[in-house]
Amino acid sequence: MFAYYLHLALRSLGRNRVITALMVLAIAFGVGASMTTLTVLRTLSADPVPGKSHRLFNVQLDPRPASRSMPSTEPPEQLTRTDAEALIRAAKAERQVMMSGGNAAIEPTRADLAPFFADARWTTADFFVMFGAPFAAGTPWTAVDDERAARVVVITRELAEKLFGTIEIIGRSLRVDGTEMRIVGVLDTWRVNPHFYDLNTTVYGTGEQLFAPFSTSRELKLSRSGTTDCWENAPEPEALGAPCTWVQLWVELGSMSAVANYQDFLTSYSQDQRRAGRFEREPTIRLRSVVDWLAFKQVVPSDVRLQTWIALGFLIVCLINTIGLLLTKFLRRASEVGVRRALGASKREIFTQLLIEAAVVGLAGGLVGLLFTWIGLGMIRSQPTTYAALARLDLPMLGITIALAVVSSILAGVFPAWRGCQVSPSIQLKSP
Amino acid sequence: MLQMKEVSKVFRTATVETRALRALSLEVDEGQFVAITGPSGSGKTTFLNIAGLLEEFSSGTYMLDGVNVANLDDRARSRLRNEKIGFVFQGFNLIPDLNLFDNVDVPLRYRGMTSGDRRKRIEAALDRVGLAKRMRHFPAELSGGQQQRVAIARAIAGDPKLLLADEPTGNLDSEMAREVMNLLEELNSQGTVLVIVTHDPAIASRAPRNVHIVDGVAADVERKPAAGATTTAS
Amino acid sequence: MHLHPILSTLRRHRTASALIVLEIAVTCAIVSNTVFLVQERLSRMNNSSGVVEDELIVVQLTGIGEKPDAAAATEVDLSALRSIPGVRHVATSNMVPFGNSSWNTSISTIPDDPNTVNSAMYFGSQDLLEVMGLQVTAGRDFAPEEYVTLDDVQSKKAQAPAVIITRGLANRLFPDKPPIGQPLYVLGKNPQTVVGVIEHLARPNEGTGRENAAYAIVLPLLAPYTVTGNYVLRADAKQASQVLTSVDTTLNRIDRGRVIMGRKPFAEIRREYFSQDRSLALLLTGVSIALLVVTAMGIVGLASFWVQQRTRQIGIRRALGASRGDILRYFLLENFILATIGIVLGMALSYGINLWLMKAYQVARLPGTVLPIGAALLWLVGQLAVLGPALRATKISPAIATRAT
Ligand SMILES: Nc1ncnc2c1ncn2[C@@H]1O[C@H](COP(=O)(O)OP(=O)(O)O)[C@@H](O)[C@H]1O
Ligand SMILES: [Mg+2]
Repeated sequence: MFAYYLHLALRSLGRNRVITALMVLAIAFGVGASMTTLTVLRTLSADPVPGKSHRLFNVQLDPRPASRSMPSTEPPEQLTRTDAEALIRAAKAERQVMMSGGNAAIEPTRADLAPFFADARWTTADFFVMFGAPFAAGTPWTAVDDERAARVVVITRELAEKLFGTIEIIGRSLRVDGTEMRIVGVLDTWRVNPHFYDLNTTVYGTGEQLFAPFSTSRELKLSRSGTTDCWENAPEPEALGAPCTWVQLWVELGSMSAVANYQDFLTSYSQDQRRAGRFEREPTIRLRSVVDWLAFKQVVPSDVRLQTWIALGFLIVCLINTIGLLLTKFLRRASEVGVRRALGASKREIFTQLLIEAAVVGLAGGLVGLLFTWIGLGMIRSQPTTYAALARLDLPMLGITIALAVVSSILAGVFPAWRGCQVSPSIQLKSP
Repeated sequence: MLQMKEVSKVFRTATVETRALRALSLEVDEGQFVAITGPSGSGKTTFLNIAGLLEEFSSGTYMLDGVNVANLDDRARSRLRNEKIGFVFQGFNLIPDLNLFDNVDVPLRYRGMTSGDRRKRIEAALDRVGLAKRMRHFPAELSGGQQQRVAIARAIAGDPKLLLADEPTGNLDSEMAREVMNLLEELNSQGTVLVIVTHDPAIASRAPRNVHIVDGVAADVERKPAAGATTTAS
Repeated sequence: MHLHPILSTLRRHRTASALIVLEIAVTCAIVSNTVFLVQERLSRMNNSSGVVEDELIVVQLTGIGEKPDAAAATEVDLSALRSIPGVRHVATSNMVPFGNSSWNTSISTIPDDPNTVNSAMYFGSQDLLEVMGLQVTAGRDFAPEEYVTLDDVQSKKAQAPAVIITRGLANRLFPDKPPIGQPLYVLGKNPQTVVGVIEHLARPNEGTGRENAAYAIVLPLLAPYTVTGNYVLRADAKQASQVLTSVDTTLNRIDRGRVIMGRKPFAEIRREYFSQDRSLALLLTGVSIALLVVTAMGIVGLASFWVQQRTRQIGIRRALGASRGDILRYFLLENFILATIGIVLGMALSYGINLWLMKAYQVARLPGTVLPIGAALLWLVGQLAVLGPALRATKISPAIATRAT
C-alpha cells in the first residue's frame, strides 16, 4: 500500500510541477536558513572540554574594599595574584591551575624569520592534564619548575613547525623576550572553543601557541594580555599584593561533596582574610562549572542568538506557506478524492495518501535545504567574525536537516490532508 | 438585429483543423424568436459563441445591432456584450461563491451603475423569475430549475436586446423546462430577441422560426402543421 | 469598486485566505524588525570618529625585551617618519578611535566623588591634535611646557596640569557653565584644569553605553612608543599607498629588534571595527529578501490555484461583459485586500516582537518610520507575485462558459 501511495504522490507532484517546485523551494529555504544558524549556534555553544566540563570550576572571591560604590552581588571575575597563589598553595582540590594571558616576543634562530609575537599563557603545571591538552612530544613541566620559576616552555606543533620545521625539538632552546627558554613539550593540534578558561583574551579564536610557568613570567616581567581591574591607583598591577584582579583560577573537583567542601574552604579562606584585614566584605564566593560559567558569561554572541530566532521565524513562514500550498493542492483534487471515496477508499486511506505526498515534498525540500545549508555555512565562513571559521556541517547536523524538513512538512501536511479527505463521495454525483 | 454573412470558424490544434462553421449566413430581425437545431457537433454552440462575442471568427462579416464587430478590441467587445446581450447556459454557470443577489449583480457591476440603480434592477429581475425572497441564498442551495431562473434573471437584469440560450433546458426535467420556456417566451413577447439552441423538438416547435445547422451551415426549416400539433400535445 | 464580490469570495475560501494573511503578517513582522535592525547597524557604521580619517595612517609597534632608551628612540622614529615624502605630521598616540585597545579612566568634578564618569583617555606627543585633525573649538591646545612624562606622573614626581575634553563630556560635566578653566579630577589627588574643548573624538570602543560613546579626554602626557604603541601619520590621501610601503623600511632601519604589528590607513581600522555590523546587516538583508521571496512564492502558488479553480467563473464574468482589465483588477484588488489585512496584523506582531527584542537583546524601540517600509514592501511583493497568475486569468476565453468542462 505504501508503495502505491508513494507512486500516487510522485504522479501527483509531477502533474503540477510549478506548485511542487514552489513547495520544495519554500521548505528548502526555511530549512536551509534554520539549519545554517542552528549549526553556528551549536558550534558556538559546543562543550569545550567534553567529559570534564562538569568537573572543572572557576573560582571567584571578593577582595574589594567595602567603601566603594561597587555592586556586591557579584564578585570580580578574576582573582588577585595574592589570592590565586594562596589557593594554589593550599591545594584543596584534586587539581588546581592559575593563569593569565600573555604575549611572547619570539626571536627565531632562522635568519629568514623576523621576530614576531605569539599569544602565550602563563600558567601552572596542572594546566595540561586538567584541560586535556594532548602532547605530540615531551611532557608538561613539573610543580618543581613552577616553584623555581624554571625557564621552560611548551609550544604548539604549529609554532614548532614554523620555527624549526620539526617537532623533534625537546630540550632545544627558544629565545622569548630576550631570554633563552628550554622546550619541554610540544602540544598536538588542540582547539578550545569557546576559550572558556579565559574569555577576556579571546572567545572563539586560535588559542595560545606558547605556554610557560606563571612564576617565570613574573620573574622575567613578560608582557601580559587580558583584563586587569584595580580599585586603587596601582603603578604595578601585576605585583604581589597589588589591589588588582587579573589572574584566573580553575579547580578540578570530582564529586558533589568535593564541590561542597571546596565551597566551605573558600568561605573560610575569605573569613580568614577578613580577620587579617585584607578583605573587607562579607565572604562572597562563586564556584561555577564550565557549563555555568559559559552561560554566565553569555559567550554565544547575541547576534547569533538573534539570527537563530529570525531563522526560526523564517521556518514558520515557510511552513505556513507549505500548509497553504498543500491545502490548495489537496482541495484541487476534490473530484479525484470524491471518485476514490465512491469507489471505496476510507477517509483514513485518503489521509495517509495525502500525508505521504507531504512527506515526499519534505524529503525533497530537505535535500535541497541541505544544499542551501551548505551554501549558507560557506557564506558564514567567509565573514570576518572570529567564530565564522568554526561553522561546519557535520554528520548529526546533516541528519537533523533532513529530519527537520520531513517532520515539519508532515506536520504542515496534517491539516491540509485532513481537509482534503473530508470530501464526501456523493459530491461527484450531485453537481454538474 | 443580427446579420452574419459567410462567417467561418476554424479551430486549429497542433494536429487537427476543425471547420466548425463553413460560410454560415443568417439574419435575425428585431422581436424574433429563433430556435436552432442540429446534430451534435454541427456547430450550434460555436455559432452562439460568435453571435454572443464570446469567440472571434475566422472570416466573413458580422453586424450586431448595426455595429461591425470584426474590428473591435477586447474592451469594446466586452462593453457590447455587457449592454446588448444576455446569456443563458445549459450548465447555469452561476458563480458558486456569490449569493443570488451578487450573481445577478455581476453584469451590472461592469456597467458602472450607482448602487441604488443596481439594487432596483436586481430586485426587479429576481422578482420577475419569482426568486426575490431567496436572494441571500447561494446557488448550491437551489434546485436546477431555480438556478436556471437565476441565470435568466442575471441575463435580463441589464435589459439586453438579444437573449442567447444554449440548451437552457438540457439539465432540467420537463416540468422545470416548461417553466423556464414560459419565462423566455414571455420575455420575447415583450420585445427581446431570443435565440435558443436546442435538440428538443418540443421546444423547437414553440419557436415561430426554426434554423437547422448541419456541418457548419445554417438553413431555415419550413414548418409542418404536424409539428405544431406535437407542441400542443406535449 | 468590486470590493463586495471579492470579500464574498474570500469568505467562502476562509482557510486559504487566512493562511496567506498569516504568512504576510509574520513576514511583515519579521521584515519590519530586520529592516530596523539593519538600519540601526548601518547608522552605527556611519558613526563619526571626529578625526580626519582620509588622511590618517596608523602604525602599531612593539619593542622586544627591555628598551631602556625608548624615549630617545621615539624621537628618532618620529623625525624619520616625518621625512617620508607625503607625510605631513606624525605623533605617538596611546590609542585611536575604533582601534579596540583602550585606556579608560574615571573622572569627576569634585574630589573622591563616588559617581564618576567613565571616559576614554587619549595621550600622545605634542602634535597629536594637529595630526588627528581635531579642532579646538573653545579654549586652546596644550602649551609645550604643560607636557609631563607618564613615568613621572605614575611615580608621583609630576602632575599633568591641563586636560582637553570633548563637547559631549563638557555638556555632561558642566551643563550650566563654560567648561574652560574648570578643575577636573582625572589623575592623582590634584585636579587638571580644562584648557580646551574639541567637538568630537570617538572612543576606541563603544564604552559602556550609547551616551558614554561621546566621552573622551586628551592629556598632555609623554610616553615612549613602548607604552603608547601607535604612531599616527597624517599624509596626503593621494600618497597614502607610497607612505604605507615606506613605513616598515624606515622603522627597521632604525632598530630591527622590534615588531611592527600593523600599518593601515584609518579606513581599514573602521572597516575592521564595524565588520561584524556589516556582516549582520548583510545577513539580515539576505534573510529579509529570502523571506519576501518565499512569501511571493506562496502568493503565486495560491493565486495560480485560485485562477485555475475559478476558470469557469472568470469565463462567466467575461461572458457577462467583464473586460481583460476588469479581471486583472479583480485579482490585484483581491491580493491587495489580503495583503492589507496581513500588514495590519503584522504591524501589531512587529511591536510584540520588538518589545521582546527590547527585553532580550537591548534593541531600541521600533520607530514608526519602519512600518510604512515594511507595509510598502509587502504590498509591492504581493502585487508583483499575483501579476503572473492574474495575467493568465485575463487570457481565459469567455467561451469557456458555454463549453462544459
Ligand atoms: N475549442 C475548440 N477546439 C477545437 N475544436 C472545437 C472547439 N470547440 C468546438 N470544436 C469543434 O467544433 C465543432 C462544432 O462544435 P460545437 O459548436 O460545440 O457543436 P454543437 O454545439 O453543435 O454540438 C465540433 O466538431 C467540435 O469538436
Ligand atoms: Mg453544444
